[in-house]
Amino acid sequence: MTADLGSARAIMRRGALITGLGLVGIGVVMVLAIGYTPVEINQGPAQKIFYVHVPAAFTALWIAVPATAFASLLYLWLKDPRLDRFAAASAEAAAVFCGVVLSTGPIWAKPIWGAWWTWDGRLTLTLFLFFLLLGYQTLRAAIRNPLERARFSAVISVMGLVLLPFIHLSVYLWRGLHPKPIVLKPSAPSLPPEMLKTLLIGIACALILYVGFVTCRYGIQLARDLKESADAA
Amino acid sequence: MLPDNSQYLVAAYIIAGCVYLAYTCSLFLRARNAAK
Repeated sequence: MTADLGSARAIMRRGALITGLGLVGIGVVMVLAIGYTPVEINQGPAQKIFYVHVPAAFTALWIAVPATAFASLLYLWLKDPRLDRFAAASAEAAAVFCGVVLSTGPIWAKPIWGAWWTWDGRLTLTLFLFFLLLGYQTLRAAIRNPLERARFSAVISVMGLVLLPFIHLSVYLWRGLHPKPIVLKPSAPSLPPEMLKTLLIGIACALILYVGFVTCRYGIQLARDLKESADAA
Repeated sequence: MLPDNSQYLVAAYIIAGCVYLAYTCSLFLRARNAAK
């Protein structure tokens, strides 16, 4: 028990270190975006919101939600508590990145579209995904039995995976205001090199932050599970 | 003539930073409690 709690502490410490690194990276990206990348001629400085918005969206929609869903699917098959712990950690990080996407998006939209929000397909589906991730957290908090909690929340997280193709394809399927992908598309990215470099650094930093969040949250969940099983014994 | 909308950029960066920092603080507090 003591050794296991010790390993949970070590995981949390490692997570805190990676999170710190990710936060510094995000700060560097903001400085790079302001000082290094050129100002887009039509949109002005507000276009630079892109360097925070897109990495957060990429991390949430391409990494965090799929990782949560795949870990959940594997949990339903293998019943390994480590997979449930990872899914819980990843879903929480996904909600944070989704929160950044949904808060920075409207701030960009106001000067560019003239409205904070439109019920565009991509915006609406991303909002649904955010609500689903909040529902996932609520469900986990509401169920006390660890096996039931893991099973029910695994099913909810797979629902998130079902939403992802619709979110990605929404800009092609429905007419809306949201710009089409400029990097994740079949042809070459249509961005000047300085913009592309800053964006890629932003994505790398957001990924480091995601790894830090998940590692730290995994350690917390491990420590909680150890205490729960010790109390039950 | 470039549009002057830098206040939106500053607001977005502050909000994104606050969200990340707030979650990091929540993780830190929960980790401290869980490690006891």
